Amino acid sequence: MTALALNRSVTVGHSRSSILRRQTLLTAQLRVLLVAGAFALVALVAVVRLGYFGLSDRATRITSLEEALLPPRGEITDRNGVPLARAFPAYALWYNPSALGDPGNPLVRSPERIAADLKQIFPDIDAAEVARKLASGRPGYLRRRVLPEEANRVQDLGELALELPRETERHYPQGSLAAHVLGYVDSEGKGHVGMEQVLQDRLTDPMTRAQPVALSIDMRVQGALEDELRRGMLATNAAGAGGIVLDVDSGEILALASLPDFDPNRIDADGAQNMFSRVSSEVYELGSTFKPIAVAAAIDAGTVRDFGRRYQASRPLEIGGFRISDSHPLGPSLNVAESLMHSSNIVTGQIADELGPERLRRTMMDLGMHQRPYIEVPARGTPIWPGDKWPRLRNITVSYGHGISVTPLHLASAYAALVNGGVWRPSTLHKLEPGEVPEGRRVFKASTSYRMRQLLRLISTHGTGRSADAPGYRVGGKTGSAEKAVRGGYSKSLVVSTFAAAFPMDRPRYVIVTMLDEPKGTTASSFQRTAAWNAAPIVGKLVPRIGPMLGVMPDDTRDVDISDLRPLIPGADQ
Amino acid sequence: MWVAGSRRREIGWAVVLLACGALLAGLTFKVNSIKSQVLLAERQIIALETEKRILEIEFQARSNQQQLADWNRVEFGYVAPSAGQYLESERQLAALGTARGVGAPEPIRVARAPEPDEEGGMLAMVSPLTGRPASAQAEEPAPAPEPARQPHARPLAERLARPEPAGPGLQVLQ
Repeated sequence: MTALALNRSVTVGHSRSSILRRQTLLTAQLRVLLVAGAFALVALVAVVRLGYFGLSDRATRITSLEEALLPPRGEITDRNGVPLARAFPAYALWYNPSALGDPGNPLVRSPERIAADLKQIFPDIDAAEVARKLASGRPGYLRRRVLPEEANRVQDLGELALELPRETERHYPQGSLAAHVLGYVDSEGKGHVGMEQVLQDRLTDPMTRAQPVALSIDMRVQGALEDELRRGMLATNAAGAGGIVLDVDSGEILALASLPDFDPNRIDADGAQNMFSRVSSEVYELGSTFKPIAVAAAIDAGTVRDFGRRYQASRPLEIGGFRISDSHPLGPSLNVAESLMHSSNIVTGQIADELGPERLRRTMMDLGMHQRPYIEVPARGTPIWPGDKWPRLRNITVSYGHGISVTPLHLASAYAALVNGGVWRPSTLHKLEPGEVPEGRRVFKASTSYRMRQLLRLISTHGTGRSADAPGYRVGGKTGSAEKAVRGGYSKSLVVSTFAAAFPMDRPRYVIVTMLDEPKGTTASSFQRTAAWNAAPIVGKLVPRIGPMLGVMPDDTRDVDISDLRPLIPGADQ
Repeated sequence: MWVAGSRRREIGWAVVLLACGALLAGLTFKVNSIKSQVLLAERQIIALETEKRILEIEFQARSNQQQLADWNRVEFGYVAPSAGQYLESERQLAALGTARGVGAPEPIRVARAPEPDEEGGMLAMVSPLTGRPASAQAEEPAPAPEPARQPHARPLAERLARPEPAGPGLQVLQ
């Protein structure tokens, strides 16, 4: 009985443990199944994800090469494709005080210490100013246009609050070169002053901005013009200077400079003061440089036919109580060529008097002197035009460049018409293809233009423009030194000296106008203030620099034929 | 029999369908992988273009016209070449080498001992590796007999000498 009971209890115990074991096994299997199921699910998700990546092209469609390489603002180049303004993918140094999430102390080290470290990376910054900005706790730019290696050094400082966001800046690789032509772009991406403003839509339109815009400027010529003008301006202590190089056959402006200039990469208060252009937006009485225009109008109208005729030059012209005289005695009489060579107001006045006011006025209007100059930049000076009815005195003063104020650009276009065969064309800053050159309008006969080439050449070989006569380049031009108009009359001490030239005179290709505003008599100019001593030598130094670049080679064996005028000039044969 | 054939055909179609699906998937995978490679290449191009632009800007900023003009004038004293330094045409070039005219003064000639190793008057080219004259090195492996001298290989002094005037009447007595 006891054995049976024991056996039964053993059986019961065995079956209970067997059940327990089975249950445990079941639980374990269930858990393994669950874990395996979870793994399988993860694997399935991964496979589906892989399949999705493999089968869908969503990820590969996001970027486009053209879009990524499209500059945010189009490039501006010179006529040979050299970039003058372009997008610069640089970094900016931005101070973000909330980067650490601790408004009380946004920096790890002291602001002075960080400013000193930044000074080592950027030697031109003001450490005290930077320290003040860092201590103020306000977000803001510490610097822009940071180069990649500089950015790396800033990162090495270990300050999280110094952030380096990537920004595309407008950059002018040549600095202040052609600043008045180009203008600048403000922080909102809007162009100002020059072609940046004119081409705003074209440079920002996604359809057109990939293609650079070519200007008529030649960077090398522009550099040489600015360099020589700057030297001339500094040598004579002038308040400013301006210059243009213009293609006589197309009206393209190859160089246009106004000094002092500004740096479009860094606009500050000083730069903002120099943004007006002395060449296209400021008007001046340009003095004797107008005399060839008056003489050309007289030749064209037929009132000057005999170049041997002598005009009296000893007595001042008395008209309506005004006396028109020369700066120094030029002898009892002069012919037309001599009057231009020695720049006689008295003789030019007589020639203009014979021509009459209406015809001189018509010529001036044909040369565009009564309207704003033809150039794309927005700041264009309005000439001070004497009106419709010119009295006799006004006619005479205009003939020697007084009583009419125009920009030097007006004068350059007029000289182009004077020497290119007599056709006036609007000046432009866009590069023109051969078929795009405007037809222009005829102002002078071709024969008059040829005669003017001879006369202008004579001025620079035997007259006041001798210092502009670069050997071999056949330069011809006219000086002009006008007293500056001030309140209540003309200043005796302030002058505007101008030299308007063209070269090579046997087949004129380019006109150059140089102008110095308020030059002083210095050692460099032999204590003279007139154009023969300051503006003309600039042309004399500039032409040998730019001539070969523009395809004009010096040649001593060529020149405009002045043999018919030579007998009229005493000493011309020597 | 017919039923069995129908099922086999169904299975066959399914297999063909599956195979097509697999091929399509494989092809799509391949296409997308190539697209990814293209994308990667494009990104590299963009990065390189950006780097190129930065380098270009750096070069342009360093070649600042004003700076170069200042250096040319102040450091090197360069000035624009004068008219006499230009030759405009082949005619002008030829004019430099014309034969002496009749009755022109005789050119002044300076006596000079001929140098045995002279090669056109130029300094001998020296190999950067061995430091020996390049001509000697070239001749070393095959010391061939010296070829007849070409007209252009004459010594410089000889080549620069004016040509003898043609014609018996213009013979210059040396």
